[in-house]
Amino acid sequence: MAQIQPPGFPIERGKIHEFANSLLDDDPLYHDLNAAEAAGLPSVVAPPTFASAAAFFPDPNARGPSMKGLDMRFLLHGGQELIFERPLFAGDELQPEPGETKSWEKEGRRGGTMKFIENETIWRDKVGEIVLRVRNTLIQTAGVVKD
Amino acid sequence: MRKEIWSQVKVGDEYSFELENVNRSHFVRYAGAGGDFNPIHHDQSFAEKAGLPTVFGMGMFTAGVLARVPSEWFGPTSVRRYAIKFTSRIWPEDTILFQGRVTRVYEEDGVSHADLELKATNQKQEDLIRAEATVRDWKP
Repeated sequence: MAQIQPPGFPIERGKIHEFANSLLDDDPLYHDLNAAEAAGLPSVVAPPTFASAAAFFPDPNARGPSMKGLDMRFLLHGGQELIFERPLFAGDELQPEPGETKSWEKEGRRGGTMKFIENETIWRDKVGEIVLRVRNTLIQTAGVVKD
Repeated sequence: MRKEIWSQVKVGDEYSFELENVNRSHFVRYAGAGGDFNPIHHDQSFAEKAGLPTVFGMGMFTAGVLARVPSEWFGPTSVRRYAIKFTSRIWPEDTILFQGRVTRVYEEDGVSHADLELKATNQKQEDLIRAEATVRDWKP
């Protein structure tokens, strides 16, 4: 299984505004530079799940090498773990580094054999400090899963 | 930034809000903002060909809204860890209850921390996501 290795991910103010809006979140620290600066922050904050967008940043149609060979009709997102060393701010430029990738199979009750793919991405800022670790789990099912 | 929360927080404290009448526009808007253009989340014919009644939402949309529980409650800079497991999918016309509960309050390296358990539940009382978060009194 190949590693996901997306290119660098710029954290931008406009994109944070759009992302927070899509989550119906009007917290001023996501939208208002003055509010962020008044709170002593370098810029607006990125919502916790903002970095999830990084996986799609290079090209929304190219879903990364780890997606090759997977059937998009029967692909489920099993879960995700985010561990922050500090909050992400507009102006950050993150560089990814692949962590460990694991895959295993399990008999499912609802959709036949399920293949689990877990991969970790470690994100570093401009000065090389680790700011975030993302562990993502995908599940490939054999057919349609009924809720 | 919600400083007062840290002198008051205790185990068992709860926070919740509801998102009524989820619709396809929520999914499309999240696709644009987050970049997940898997057609299963916006293309009705594609969903039908995959044997589904209609499109369903991205897990990360629901997870993003659920992350508002720790971020609204303790502030956007407070989130140290957020771990989610998806158990069911979000469908158009769902009404979702987002809830959080404090399970532990502690100090680590002189910084106040709290652990939370979180979940998103639909109108049929099915959990869509179960999650855990750790928040802390992060200072710039």
